[in-house]
Amino acid sequence: MRRYELIEALIPEFKETLVICNIGIPSQEMFSIRDRDNHFYMLGSMGLCSSIGLGLSMTTDKTVVSLEGDGSLLMNLGSLATIANHAPKNFILLVIDNGTYGSTGDQPTFTSQATSLSEIASGAGCADVIECDGQDAPQHLRTAISAGCASVIVAKVESGNEACPVVPLHPIVLRERFKKFVIS
Amino acid sequence: MILSVSKELINNLKSAGVDFFVSVPCKLLAGQIELLEKDKDVYYLPVTREEEGFGLCAGANLGGHFPCILMQDSGLGNSVNALRSLIQFFQIPVVMLMSYRGAPGEPVPAQVPMGNLIPDFLRLMQIPVLYCSEQKDLDDIGSLVTHSKTAECPVAILIDFHLMESEI
Repeated sequence: MRRYELIEALIPEFKETLVICNIGIPSQEMFSIRDRDNHFYMLGSMGLCSSIGLGLSMTTDKTVVSLEGDGSLLMNLGSLATIANHAPKNFILLVIDNGTYGSTGDQPTFTSQATSLSEIASGAGCADVIECDGQDAPQHLRTAISAGCASVIVAKVESGNEACPVVPLHPIVLRERFKKFVIS
Repeated sequence: MILSVSKELINNLKSAGVDFFVSVPCKLLAGQIELLEKDKDVYYLPVTREEEGFGLCAGANLGGHFPCILMQDSGLGNSVNALRSLIQFFQIPVVMLMSYRGAPGEPVPAQVPMGNLIPDFLRLMQIPVLYCSEQKDLDDIGSLVTHSKTAECPVAILIDFHLMESEI
């Protein structure tokens, strides 16, 4: 299973969930599989997926999922400490860990070598951390949503990207439709 | 300690509608952070790095809130891409309450190189600035914050050693 197939499997779980989708190919794949008003495609600011989701989750009762990547989270590891100490119960960090920087040519990240993001998350103080195979991630996400506690799910998948076009949405259009869904 | 300047700073921001605060600490911001830690009317949390803070601010604004980041001016260097490709690209209003380190009164030489760049740096990034050196300068916070909302842009408030001398 690659990231693309995992996002396909996750899409049915995201109907009512606010999703902050990581920059680059993850957003392109998600947009191509299914576009909804409750998807916020980052377009820029690599590394900040978990932070945007955390800020949002503090200001809404809806479930917020940050659909993060391993390379991106490695740029902002401090975020795991902030999440451990401040994440509300409606926040879920779902890391699609394919061990590569997929958007820039599949260069290996350290998670394909010695580094474990789930152990870093636990070390940061995150209480509910699960590492799983990609195929089991939708079930773990359902469990996390129904449990209603802040969770970190690290879903291991194979590297590789689907060829998808750049997300064609204007940032202000994207912002406004997402904000409307947040208060709906 | 009497935190009269810090109180006025935070009150002016709150009166103008700011209701979500994150911080990366600085000696000049200590009083304001102390007040925010006890404030039950607003969201407040510390973050580990300025860039991360701008991510939280963007998320809070998507949730309908008006965010402010407390940071050293040196943290602007850590935040350029977040400001350009997130905050300014999506036109998200954010107040940057920044200590003006490296300006006259600065005791730490290493703060000077970054501090010297800050006015030009903010101008280059097209971020409107309010320089606060005396307590009466704080009267202009309300209109700056309103501008942030109207223009959907980040704005900066620079507070210097002279303004904060009664609290440090």
